[in-house]
Amino acid sequence: MREVRLDRLVGRTVHDVDGRSVGHIHELHAEIELHEHGNEYVVVAFHVGRLALLPSMAASRFAWQSLRFLGRRRYIIPWQLMDLSDPLQPRVRCALEELPSPD
Amino acid sequence: MRGLHLVHDVQDAQLLDRHHDKIGRVDGLLLALEDGRPPRVATILVGGRVRDERIGAPVRWFMQLLRTLVDVKSDGISRIPFSAVREISHVVEVDVDGADLASQHVERWLCDHVVRHIPGAYIGRQ
Amino acid sequence: MAGNVKKWSNAALGLVCGIGGFLEIGSIATATQAGAEFGVQLAWVVAVGTIGLAVLMEMSGRLAAVSKRTYTDLLRERFGIRFFTAPLVVVLIVSLLALAAEIGGVSTALQMATGVSLRWWALPVAFVAWMLLWRGTFTVVEQGSAIFGIVAIAFAVGAWKLHPQWNEVGAALVPSRPAHDAARYWYIAVSVVGASVSPYLFIFHSSGAIEDAWDTEYVSVNRLSAVLGNLFGGGLSIAVLICAAMVLAPKHANVDSFDIIAQTLATPLGRAGLWFFIATLGITCFGATLEIALSVSYLLAQGFGWSWSENLPPARNARFSMAYTVSILAMALVMVAGIDPLKLTTVTMVVTAASLPLTIIPMLVLMNDTDVMSAYTNGWVANAALVALSILSAVLFVVAVPLQILGGG
Repeated sequence: MREVRLDRLVGRTVHDVDGRSVGHIHELHAEIELHEHGNEYVVVAFHVGRLALLPSMAASRFAWQSLRFLGRRRYIIPWQLMDLSDPLQPRVRCALEELPSPD
Repeated sequence: MRGLHLVHDVQDAQLLDRHHDKIGRVDGLLLALEDGRPPRVATILVGGRVRDERIGAPVRWFMQLLRTLVDVKSDGISRIPFSAVREISHVVEVDVDGADLASQHVERWLCDHVVRHIPGAYIGRQ
Repeated sequence: MAGNVKKWSNAALGLVCGIGGFLEIGSIATATQAGAEFGVQLAWVVAVGTIGLAVLMEMSGRLAAVSKRTYTDLLRERFGIRFFTAPLVVVLIVSLLALAAEIGGVSTALQMATGVSLRWWALPVAFVAWMLLWRGTFTVVEQGSAIFGIVAIAFAVGAWKLHPQWNEVGAALVPSRPAHDAARYWYIAVSVVGASVSPYLFIFHSSGAIEDAWDTEYVSVNRLSAVLGNLFGGGLSIAVLICAAMVLAPKHANVDSFDIIAQTLATPLGRAGLWFFIATLGITCFGATLEIALSVSYLLAQGFGWSWSENLPPARNARFSMAYTVSILAMALVMVAGIDPLKLTTVTMVVTAASLPLTIIPMLVLMNDTDVMSAYTNGWVANAALVALSILSAVLFVVAVPLQILGGG
């Protein structure tokens, strides 16, 4: 089992299977998973957007909404599509065009 | 507690221990990664090198130098299992005792070696 | 019913504190310089600074009452620790400089009263201030010296007795360009704004709202006391300016000592005026010393999540208590070393003005964030005021240092 710090993931550039840049990780959405031995929070989705400056300021709703306002692409990527085998070089398991977008 | 946005709702949030005392902020979160499973939010990190690194390299070097000079062996980081979280609102309440945390070392040291020797240290609303 | 009485008496107290707590060494020194060199012409700058402060204090109070967090808390939480470090360092520097100047102000008042050098008074003043913080509660600190600061009304009396041309004063509330010495005019204008809009003021105000456990019921109370308190306080600053314009400007006096500044009250009010000046300087600077020292502690404690409250015993918040202890001692030593409080004040005010973008611009984000403010986000008027202030702060940032060089004198 590997561990990664959240702040080392946030702001990282995500690439697709063809090596194209998808954007930068802005936010991680987590939900409760129920277990017999105790509930825990697991990450279900990654918010990725195409504005490098704002992740370094730590994401806020303002940052996420700015992307929309500026017409930049944003993606909400389910955990299954995110390959974190090398957490410092996150990749999605599909091509850019196949990614779901909230817009 | 419903779904969480880790950066927006948790990172940098104020931490309260089981006595509702302030014990620092969420300086970092550790995610446990396992193939075929969603990343698990495993540990809250408080203080020490984690905080210094997030600020920037010069601060990290300075604080490391300070720790070396004062001969502090530990990295000053408190690790709180995420399972200890009781409530997340505008603060994060955890079921631990702040007195046990490494990141509270300076607070305890100052209290024991400086503050309580000054008259009036216990005057105020408890 | 009891809750309403408490709320509105809180408002009345806030109003009194706003009036009594407005003047301090920065506003006295800069308003006097403005009046001595340019007559009443710079009254509009005092008005702009006052309105700016009223807007920012209303917002920082509303922010705390609604979100249950202080401005510093939200700076850290919404912008992250890396960004937060910038306003933290800058506000710390300007606050510590201001703290040294205020300790110098109290010490100067004692020097004028006793003839003993201010360098000897700095440590005793620091000790008394420290003891009040160590043993007192927030209410005592906030209200104690602010109530006594009402003595500053002497400036209003002095201004009235000097019979200025009130229509000229009214006309001077409209922005104007200088008839002479533009660099010096704008330099003093910048320092007046820096004296009015100091970040420690709204850090203190939003922390105070949490200390007093404000909730959304206090939003209207906050608005009233922030606006009225600062408006009356700003009126006192204009009174200082008028006194200097009537007494010092005709003599082309160089404002390089507090003895000169004292003439602005001694002339209209005689010997009593001199004592009123000493009392005003001493009391208002003492109040500011307490506020700034606490603000330094609030800034550090809230930014790093330490235990904090002026109401708690020091043993329950050791780092918070040691922060103001160390600050007061260190800045008192600056005065013991012989730094001139008046010179330090004018430089500090300009540096403060230059630092404003880092504290004002984030307010624009926070006051419009529905996660933080829920139904109490800014309306368009408040946003327009804040945008105007943000632009002003950006301009000040650019011009402050060049003006210090060109117009500092």
